[in-house]
Amino acid sequence: MNKGVPLAEALALYHRAADRAPAPVLADIDTLLNAYHPDHARSSAIKLTVGVNAGDECQRDLADLLQAETFIDEANLAGAPVTDVDVLVVGGGGAGCAAALTASEQGARVLLATKLRLGDSNTVMAEGGIQAAIDPEDSVQCHIQDTLRGGHYGGDPALVAAMAGDGPDVLRWLINLGMQFETTPGGDLQTRRAGGMSVARLVYCRDYTGLEMMRVLREAVIQHRSIEVWEQSPVVELLSNEHGQKCVGAVVTSLIDGQVRIVRTRSVILATGGLGRLHLNGFPTSNHLGATGDGLVLAYRIGAKLRDLDSFQYHPTGLVNTPHLSGKLVTEAVRAAGAVLLNGNARRFIDELQPRDVVCAAIVRECAEGRGVDINGQRVGVWLDTPHLEQSQPGLLEKQFPNLMTRTRVSGIDPRAEPLLVYPTLHYQNGGAVIDANGATTVPGLFAAGELAGGIHGRNRIMGNALLDIISFGRRAGIAATATRDRGPKKVTLEHVNRLRRALTLAGMPMSRRSPQVLPPYAAKGLWNH
Amino acid sequence: MSSTITDADRQQVVTLTINGVTVSVNKGMTLVEAAWHAGISRVTSVGCLEGVCGSCRVMLGRGKEVTVGLACQTFVEAGIEVVFLPAASAPRHHYEIDDFQDGWDIHARFHEIFPEASRCRHCHGCVRSCPKGIAVEDGIALAAAGRYRDAGETFIECVMCELCDVACPELIAPAHVGLFCRRVTAHFHLRPPNLIFRLEAIRQSRMEPDHE
Repeated sequence: MNKGVPLAEALALYHRAADRAPAPVLADIDTLLNAYHPDHARSSAIKLTVGVNAGDECQRDLADLLQAETFIDEANLAGAPVTDVDVLVVGGGGAGCAAALTASEQGARVLLATKLRLGDSNTVMAEGGIQAAIDPEDSVQCHIQDTLRGGHYGGDPALVAAMAGDGPDVLRWLINLGMQFETTPGGDLQTRRAGGMSVARLVYCRDYTGLEMMRVLREAVIQHRSIEVWEQSPVVELLSNEHGQKCVGAVVTSLIDGQVRIVRTRSVILATGGLGRLHLNGFPTSNHLGATGDGLVLAYRIGAKLRDLDSFQYHPTGLVNTPHLSGKLVTEAVRAAGAVLLNGNARRFIDELQPRDVVCAAIVRECAEGRGVDINGQRVGVWLDTPHLEQSQPGLLEKQFPNLMTRTRVSGIDPRAEPLLVYPTLHYQNGGAVIDANGATTVPGLFAAGELAGGIHGRNRIMGNALLDIISFGRRAGIAATATRDRGPKKVTLEHVNRLRRALTLAGMPMSRRSPQVLPPYAAKGLWNH
Repeated sequence: MSSTITDADRQQVVTLTINGVTVSVNKGMTLVEAAWHAGISRVTSVGCLEGVCGSCRVMLGRGKEVTVGLACQTFVEAGIEVVFLPAASAPRHHYEIDDFQDGWDIHARFHEIFPEASRCRHCHGCVRSCPKGIAVEDGIALAAAGRYRDAGETFIECVMCELCDVACPELIAPAHVGLFCRRVTAHFHLRPPNLIFRLEAIRQSRMEPDHE
């Protein structure tokens, strides 16, 4: 990498009051993405050897986890206490809570098991908003088109149509549960436009949209009479019938005492979220501590087909100059509000409201070609020009982005006075488990919702579709998971584990690695000893 | 610029105790980073690492002064005693939002569910314990007076760490009162014309005979 412009020199070139020239026109998006997006970095992806996706491209670090040995064998299950429920929801974020609430609305006995605390999730950190086509100039069709285009036409149109069509009713459902949104003086829901949207479609609650959503969902789940919640309880394996062909339960363990428990179910809904904490390709992450891709591993081992395992979203604006917040986000809404990106020479280099993968690649390009801001040769980034935004709209940052202001205040930074140094950060898993419009995976009895599921966002998610996705498909999975009224499992086995183990042996793959990851290594020391 | 100061800070070593274990770590680390760095066992209550999930509750002892806070938002200090707190137990107050049939009796229902809310003795324990600087006591007074919208607005930055619930000698559960206020405000009063118009348009298009 070329060295960038040293920090002091870049600060001298930066002038808050200078007029900002228009961004240069981007000649060819594909060339930029192919050259600079981390997905395309050399040796990022390999082909899977075993399992239903054998032969498909998969990010290297993730492939190691998918093709690994389990923690559980038959001996662990002997004598383990058994709990019977109708529906087991795995994951305590927005998708898991939406699924649990909806399944219980249908009359099911629901158990929600979550690795950390209920509500500890990426949902709580989402700042910008949730998309729904409610503006007079907008339509569900337009929402579908923007989502497909933003995903470079890699998404499944049926899933996108299902999600976009749910948008307005998702808002109604959330408001009924008690979630607040910003309104206009006339009482309309306030909308704003962000990257990849052709009209204003983002509804929000200041820059606390995810927090507001999560605390309402969390309270609704805790207070619900027919939902039981197990916290600090990661699922480390699924259970299959004697043919290994149907999901009939799960093995739940405890971070507190290590106790292994068997849960027998009619349906399992996986809502375990993403995998930023695997730090793919060595990137920092915006993600929550629990985002270690556990659900992908569980789903793959029981035979569920996955997709787009080589496609991840690197959010363009992760914080750089605050070590303890490294990789944490500055919401895209700040760019939507008018903040521009400047390189070390104080020049704009990209239309800031291009889709996230394009803006990300452009930042990587600036830094790789020596136009980034260089801090002591250790870190590099570009400016997010918040002071200029503050100057043109005084008070806006304090009023609309209290979360950003609070967070930077702790670090002694004032975004109104100095620009923020940013660099892309691993943010979102674009692919995941293959689902249908009911959230059903390719394995009977197994459903997936939220970031874990794939096929909706193609190869790039646009802002505000994650919060819609989790509620839309969380509810769909919650309904579908209760619709199958068979008599429940007769026998719970690890037949699917034996199947994958045989395949690994035949392929001559190493059996030393175990998965799921559960916690990142730096947090697991002294805490979670396998 | 703060980044260079922080880099310099990280060269200095400070000694503190976490869950009773003496650890020496670099200045500029948060308490969470310090706990990880030192391999402190049983620290499971870590979540977002940016101060919005409210999980990493800690008790902080500086000499005789004892306070509480969030470990991911607190930097290491020499001599400080840190204890990671267990997660809050299940709430004692129970309601489901669909139990409320209309808004006219909500004041009575509120005092049935949270009878302690009108017994605040103004000890400021909740205010001192709040890592977000929320005027918790004022919010509780507004709630007790039936001003749910204003009360809820007081709690906009609440991250549900429930430290105020622990601090309250009257067992008011302020965090849950705040959330109740926010929820009933949306549940009864948020009726956006643009959303209602679109929902009706979608309903009518589904009723058209030629709709698939």
